[in-house]
Amino acid sequence: MTAAPAPAPAGALRPGFRLALRPRFRRRELGLLLVVSVALIAGRISLGVTQRAAAARLAGDSGPVAIVVPTDLAILAAYVGVLFAAHLALVLAGRRTDQILLPTVGMLGGIGLLLMERLPQTLAGSLGGLARTQLVWLVLSFALITALAVAVRNDAWLRRYKYTWAAVGVGLLLLAFVFGRDVNGARLGIAIGPLTGQPSELLKVILVVFLAGYLSENRSLLVEESTRIGPFSVPPLPYLAPMVAMWAMALGIVVVQRDLGAALLFFLVFLLLLYVATARVSYVVLGVAAALIGGAILYSRLGYVQTRVDVWLNPFADAQGAGFQIVQALHAFARGGLIGTGLGAGLPTIGGRPPIPALHTDFPFAALGEELGLVGILAILGLYLVVIERGLRIAATAPDEFRAILAAGLSLVVGVQAFIIAAGNLKLVPLTGITLPFVSYGGSSLLANGLVVGLLIALSERGAELPPPGPRRGRLARLGRLVDRGAP
Amino acid sequence: MDPALLVVWILRLLFLGLLYAFLWSVVRVLMRDLRSASKGPATALGRLVVLASPSGEPPVGAAFSLDAVVTLGRDVNNSIVLEDEFVSTTHARLTFRGRAWYVEDAGSTNGTFVNGSRIDTISPLAFGDEVQIGQVRLRLDRARP
Repeated sequence: MTAAPAPAPAGALRPGFRLALRPRFRRRELGLLLVVSVALIAGRISLGVTQRAAAARLAGDSGPVAIVVPTDLAILAAYVGVLFAAHLALVLAGRRTDQILLPTVGMLGGIGLLLMERLPQTLAGSLGGLARTQLVWLVLSFALITALAVAVRNDAWLRRYKYTWAAVGVGLLLLAFVFGRDVNGARLGIAIGPLTGQPSELLKVILVVFLAGYLSENRSLLVEESTRIGPFSVPPLPYLAPMVAMWAMALGIVVVQRDLGAALLFFLVFLLLLYVATARVSYVVLGVAAALIGGAILYSRLGYVQTRVDVWLNPFADAQGAGFQIVQALHAFARGGLIGTGLGAGLPTIGGRPPIPALHTDFPFAALGEELGLVGILAILGLYLVVIERGLRIAATAPDEFRAILAAGLSLVVGVQAFIIAAGNLKLVPLTGITLPFVSYGGSSLLANGLVVGLLIALSERGAELPPPGPRRGRLARLGRLVDRGAP
Repeated sequence: MDPALLVVWILRLLFLGLLYAFLWSVVRVLMRDLRSASKGPATALGRLVVLASPSGEPPVGAAFSLDAVVTLGRDVNNSIVLEDEFVSTTHARLTFRGRAWYVEDAGSTNGTFVNGSRIDTISPLAFGDEVQIGQVRLRLDRARP
């Protein structure tokens, strides 16, 4: 749970993690959180009434239906309580940080929780059903957001150890190769003893931290120097190395892990950050060309990539087999229409299972499209746009390049992931199995996205101190350096 | 019409309405934030913040908004005047070219240092880097929007 920060004796904690009690009211956040809680409670009541009315109709019962049953609200009330506890902790910490992000992700998490309450509880989860398990993960995620937003005052530990972070990321990838557990043909999860998780969710955060460190250090070189090959001006070749490594890594994830979603996400975020750092369109064009070539090679060599693309182009060719998920999702969107069927009034489950396989992890967008309609999913996409806007705004006001690129990257990684899976659900791009941030069921996803938002809020503090710059190094030394310099 | 059905309908629309009420209030806050940001002075290309200045002129903590070409030195004709006995008349030049800042030494006696190492040619300067001129230490920051 979110504990109120207690004044700690100086020197008891690592530098950079200092706690102090200095309340400062956050009126905007409080106001927005009130709107969030009213909206979520209205949604829960709507869901309860719809479900009871449907049950009564099924039983041939025409008596009046209770509008509010207190047991309906238990899970949601606990969630709203956690949101306000997080708000209280931020007030007590008294930092001048962003006040929009917490209510926005709170709304997304709440919509996800409503969906989990509506789905059959036996679908997943070990702690007494789908919704309860999701509630526990949401609580942990918001505790993480609050802890980071309260305690992270200094980003030196992120910027200084960027190669260490990169090594951790590669280690995670190797873990996934070795201890990989196949889920629906894709090697997404790892299981070491009782611990299971999806490393790619954490990997995306590490990737952004590493790229922010690398690009901020080499930005002026990437911007100013270029190698000419014929009529084309390409980036300075030695500095292209990380780009090629990135490209190879993305392809490696596709080949070994069969994780198209993570590969697409990593590469898109990399290209966006390269553009954010250099403002050069030519790099993006080059990157997209490389991705298309890589994609064409993979398509011609790997069967499951072909299946994915063929299913995307014509899911109705094999509507009962490979195209089943997509066809069902399209039907769900069609049933939803403009304003949806209402929460809880979507297509009933068939034989105790929802019609779309992996609905709670990969297709929550389709389920929400059915029950909230076009109007509802546009609002949800709007919430992700708000997250991106806040991140870019924090980046624009950041005092130095590392913070600017980090803030842009953190918000883009959430936004791009949401748009990849939403577009996949809508058959706009080939479907890739990644989660809808803060809405999908799953602990790894919620914790990793909590990490992202917590860091963003911490980064948004106005008037923050900058760490002293390190000594400037020669270019070759910088490129060849694999071991980070230690703390001063 | 069945009253239960009516209640269901109203609640459905209420939830969607409240979703948009939230979005509307967020967008209002964002617009106010953007408007107040755009009302500020025209954005400069960067700022130089004084970190250390033994002579007290300029004082520590002072910040200079930068134009595309900035000269630093002891002479009053420089864009930033540094009253320090180890600073030459015209000591160093900061230039913004295309997309990045550069610093070059203008033939000073005691040299110009970037992050602790002396520069001999024109060299790129990233935001957050420290420049030392005489005993004065300055940091290049991004301009406040």
